[in-house]
Amino acid sequence: MKSQTLQKVDHSALKTNQIIIITLNILAFILNQPWLAAFVALMMGIGSALKIPGFGFVYKFILKPRGWMKPDVLDDNPEPHRFAQFLGFLFMTGGSVALFLGSSVLGWSLVWLVVALAALNAFGGFCVGCAVYYWLVRFNLPGFTKQPPAGIFPGMKPKASANV
Amino acid sequence: MNTELLLRFGLAIGIISLGIFIYWLINQRLLVRAQNNVFTLFKQFPNKPVIVYFTTPDCVPCKTIQRPALNQLSGLMGDKLEVVEIDATQRPDLARQWGVLSVPTTFLLNARGEARYVNNGVARVEKLMEQLQTL
Repeated sequence: MKSQTLQKVDHSALKTNQIIIITLNILAFILNQPWLAAFVALMMGIGSALKIPGFGFVYKFILKPRGWMKPDVLDDNPEPHRFAQFLGFLFMTGGSVALFLGSSVLGWSLVWLVVALAALNAFGGFCVGCAVYYWLVRFNLPGFTKQPPAGIFPGMKPKASANV
Repeated sequence: MNTELLLRFGLAIGIISLGIFIYWLINQRLLVRAQNNVFTLFKQFPNKPVIVYFTTPDCVPCKTIQRPALNQLSGLMGDKLEVVEIDATQRPDLARQWGVLSVPTTFLLNARGEARYVNNGVARVEKLMEQLQTL
């Protein structure tokens, strides 16, 4: 049985995470610093393990308390976003390893792929990793149980709370 | 060293520009779609510029920025502008027909009913005014 229970998800925290990932990755590319890409991978990995956005602390402790970014709390499933971050972590890890092994084209391609997907999520409201999660649900894989919020295209940012 | 840095910077700018170009192409497609669906909103077009504003009850930036911006614009332009507000939760059919994937989204139509601009996300009053002036 697929779960339909939605939780409150603050999309501002997710957006902050994505924008920091985009910024650091582009800096890593311009400055040709694979360690910076590896640092992003590490933070995404820690975030995945702790089930929080890797750079969410910037929003939680700096942006939100100062009112520089307002909460955007929506009824949503947190699991697909965690899965998306985990996918990003895998790509970033692959990219970093490739860079350290001297395969620049493969390494930076993976880094730019993460930039593109994060930008699509941050600025276009479409989470590719979430869409993949919802697609995997159809195969009844263990751990993939959540359905997209009612009336929302799988992966798109919910337009509104389903239940207030 | 500096040459390499500049080269990489240029490459980054190129990749970002490509992304923006793809985004622009998608917006052009949205405008065509809006163009084809103008008469889902009007039986008779009002013959003045129209802003079609998609929102939802729980959209925070809609309440705090977009709605005040549109109110300010309506106050400035009076009868010369019509704002059509659509709640995407009440009218998912229209949101789908117009290709709206997130809120707020605003479409600017000229007096002939041609969709000229689409703003995905918040559009501030200055930007909307600038767009209206070029309709």
